Amino acid sequence: MAAELKYEISQHAYIKLVLHALKHNTTAVNGILLGRVNPQNENVVEIIDSVPLFHSNIALLPPLEIALIMVEEHYGSQGLGIVGYFHANERFDDAELGIVAKNIGDHIFRYFPQAALLLLDNKKLEAVPKGKGQSPLMQLYIRDTSKNWKLAGPDGGSRLVIKEPAANVVLSDYISSEKWQGIVDFDDHLDDIKKDWLNPELFK
Amino acid sequence: MVSKTEETQLNRLENQVDNGGGGAWDYLCLARKLKVRRPEKVLKYGLSILNDSKKRSALGPGEWTLYEQVAIAAMDCQCLDVAKDCIKILQKKFPESKRVGRLEGMLLEAKGLWAEAEKAYSSLLEDNPLDQVIHKRRVAMAKAQGNISAAIEWLNKYLEIFMADHDAWKELAEIYVSLQMYKQAAFCYEELILSQPTVPLYHLAYADVLYTLGGLENLQTAKKYYASTIDLTGGKNTRALLGICLCTSAIGQVPKGRNKEDKESLELQSLAAKALEKDYKQRADDKLGLLTSALRSLKI
Repeated sequence: MAAELKYEISQHAYIKLVLHALKHNTTAVNGILLGRVNPQNENVVEIIDSVPLFHSNIALLPPLEIALIMVEEHYGSQGLGIVGYFHANERFDDAELGIVAKNIGDHIFRYFPQAALLLLDNKKLEAVPKGKGQSPLMQLYIRDTSKNWKLAGPDGGSRLVIKEPAANVVLSDYISSEKWQGIVDFDDHLDDIKKDWLNPELFK
Repeated sequence: MVSKTEETQLNRLENQVDNGGGGAWDYLCLARKLKVRRPEKVLKYGLSILNDSKKRSALGPGEWTLYEQVAIAAMDCQCLDVAKDCIKILQKKFPESKRVGRLEGMLLEAKGLWAEAEKAYSSLLEDNPLDQVIHKRRVAMAKAQGNISAAIEWLNKYLEIFMADHDAWKELAEIYVSLQMYKQAAFCYEELILSQPTVPLYHLAYADVLYTLGGLENLQTAKKYYASTIDLTGGKNTRALLGICLCTSAIGQVPKGRNKEDKESLELQSLAAKALEKDYKQRADDKLGLLTSALRSLKI
């Protein structure tokens, strides 16, 4: 993909992913990004929503396959598709995009060539309550022409922005009020189907 | 490993204490018994008892176990001063104690002083070479430094001696899964199923790993273990029921598989699907539509 794309993530989708990572701070977590190419501008990919998936045994296929089927089915009816994947590593000082994330990313890429891989930046997350930054706490990876996932750098090329500029302030608030306790992921749903991975009540 | 009833009990106690209904000591005892990791609560409730001299003396000898429990929770929350204070108190009470020595080692770990911690543990192991906790700290340290291959090596060495440690087998399996070393993970689950054949979690995990490995034989075996999970859980395990459907679908896509499917296994799939639909209708009605289309897309 030679084109420079802007990935615009909604505050809603963004905060959900970070809260999920905070809730399960001793394990790796992952999530799915839902959205579409902007109908007025094909160089913008809108990440409109996200679904937190798992916090245990991320590299097992059966739960992932079921999750993808159900998520796609639900959002498909709203005209949205899977546009990317989010991953947070288990250890604080692990800033590497691991093989599991890349494999899942490859799978998504097959259906959506502008797929984005987002990796949580733990050091930026640590700084959030102090700073007033507007930049997202995630690193963006895109597939380049040689089939590798490449980090989108500050030196031009594709970039990730949060649609609402005050998102990190809202996130900071949620962190202090421990809002992450209420987050439900697909793992929780499979353990107890009464739990809703759409998290409809979370931001009310 | 904690059962659902035990977890519910613990959560109920937690809510009770959070809402001022007391029961902190019961919670702390249960948390210790179940070996769950809830450091923020343990720290909060533990300190509330330890900092109150009346509550503290009412504990009797339990006071010292509480200091240990709070020290560990404090380290987990990176409240190293609290941890140090607790350990100092324990050192004073038990001057030559190996158990306190272990805590000192853990404090070095918490500070990231890996070499010093390793030295402390080695010297403790000289006097007590069969200390399981210290052996496992070595694994934890390797993992914390990102040296996963060393963690695997230490853990395998540990299991050669302590082969009945189920938690260690489970930890090893999960490390293998995270590295996509599914065959090795399968071996771990096989060991677990052999030694504890009535624990459904192992059957389920084994099935998940086999499914992920793929291939007709693995899929067929996975289906068997999803079935045994359903058997052991009285038909209530959503993951196993879904597993049956996934397996049937995947087997049907392998050219040899389609012929081997017999009436019994087709019946199994339709039973699993019915059970899922019934459960969703009862407890997750809004997701029933999604389940039905998911099942539809899985049927060949």
